[in-house]
Amino acid sequence: MIRLENVTKIYNSEVTALRDATFDVAKGEFVFLVGPSGSGKSTLLRMMNRQESPERGAVWVAGRNINDMPDSKVPHLRRNIGNIFQDYKLLLNKTVHENVAFALEVIGRPKHVIRQQVPAVLDLVGLTGKQDRFPHQLSGGEQQRVSIARAFVNRPLILLADEPTGNLDPGTGEGIMRLLDRINKTGTTVVMATHDQRIVNMMRKRVIQMDRGIIVRDQARGVYE
Amino acid sequence: MWSRLTYTFRETGASLKRNITLTVAAILTSAVSLFLVGGTFLVQRGFDNLLSKWAGGVQMIVYVSPTATADQVANIKTALESSPTVVDVDKLVYLDYTQSLAEAKRLLAADPTTFRLLNEANLPTEFKVVPRAGQLNVLVELANGFSEVPKVQKVVLARDQVEQISKLRDFVQTVTVGLSILLLIGALILIWTTIRTAMFARRREIEVMKLVGATNWFIRIPFMLEGLIQGLVGALMSCGFLVFFNRLWTNGVVKLKGDNGFIALVVSNSFLNLVMLLVLLFGMLAGAIASGVAASRFLDV
Repeated sequence: MIRLENVTKIYNSEVTALRDATFDVAKGEFVFLVGPSGSGKSTLLRMMNRQESPERGAVWVAGRNINDMPDSKVPHLRRNIGNIFQDYKLLLNKTVHENVAFALEVIGRPKHVIRQQVPAVLDLVGLTGKQDRFPHQLSGGEQQRVSIARAFVNRPLILLADEPTGNLDPGTGEGIMRLLDRINKTGTTVVMATHDQRIVNMMRKRVIQMDRGIIVRDQARGVYE
Repeated sequence: MWSRLTYTFRETGASLKRNITLTVAAILTSAVSLFLVGGTFLVQRGFDNLLSKWAGGVQMIVYVSPTATADQVANIKTALESSPTVVDVDKLVYLDYTQSLAEAKRLLAADPTTFRLLNEANLPTEFKVVPRAGQLNVLVELANGFSEVPKVQKVVLARDQVEQISKLRDFVQTVTVGLSILLLIGALILIWTTIRTAMFARRREIEVMKLVGATNWFIRIPFMLEGLIQGLVGALMSCGFLVFFNRLWTNGVVKLKGDNGFIALVVSNSFLNLVMLLVLLFGMLAGAIASGVAASRFLDV
């Protein structure tokens, strides 16, 4: 599903954020990217939806080299990739329903599809009955659920999550992880960057550990260390 | 398709409202600058009209009494052609009654009452005389001689009025063109700033749109529509100014009655309409393009 070949990323021609990163993520896999801040986790995620391009090497998503892709095709690539962030990135002037519908609206999905899919995904993430609330009326965990609903409503092949539990207390974080696990079980590939040791140890999924831009460990059913 | 349209209009409307101060500033600047652009066209047209009877290097007009017979007209022509070193015979033109009437109609556009009084018995016909290169001074000396020829009503020399008017036209043109360019740049910068501010206010939204796979055009179009509306409203206001000031001008010019020819310093309604159409199109295009460029410039989230 995702393949990185010798990916190197250099910022401002001096800071090397990634060096020779090579790995495969199979369809339906759940992968943790772990490591301290600044080790290159977020850069790796941003490579996978072409928010960034490598100086050397290639990134393949669903069988296509996305660095060779013309800019005009990038929106279509991104429709197959959901994104979740530590700070949720919700639109504060829109309700829960509108935030999720927005993701379908801006890619031109017809009204009747939106009317059908938004309640379904809100049900999946456990927010039924809260569709008319605004983000500031929700807890952090609920806001992250909205963000997951928005990322998943278009049924993407891949979900990229950047520290999704970073702002949440442990109990709420676990709830989010159970939700991501459920989504993963529907066949969606999940790549999640985190330095939340507890969660990594609890889930026992594949762990790719980064240190100063280099992959230092790639272990199936791993722990944080 | 329908949901896209409603999305576009909703976003455009919200953005215009959110940004009201900058929007009003951009619209007013567009209005004033487009008014000056249109005004430049109108003023130039007025001057061209005024100078049109001297077009093609004509330096002397010999008016022939309407009572002249064909033979007498031929005599005047012979007299003019008798100085081939001074008068450029090939360019010598005679306007008969019909042609003179057509010219009068153009020059008297602002004064239809006077025009209606013209007929074959009172409208002089005319010879337009172009001098050979460097012979203008000799032509001026000859002018008095021509007025002695029978049935010549009047001899008018361009030098007396044309040069001053031409200089005035060039001066006015420099000022109006310069001013309108300056103000147009101001208007475009304001539209650009409005769009940039609007995009900054919505940067989070734009980031989300890009991440969920909205195309750049989808994001850009509401902003372009916003710029187009600013340009259009500004252009409509400038058209109002143009109609108002042109009417004021025409009324003023009509009071300049008399033999000085200034009555020709007006612009026909059809030309005014053409100028307004151009101003409208230009306003919309410039607004849409400026904001499209501004939007693209800030789309790299």
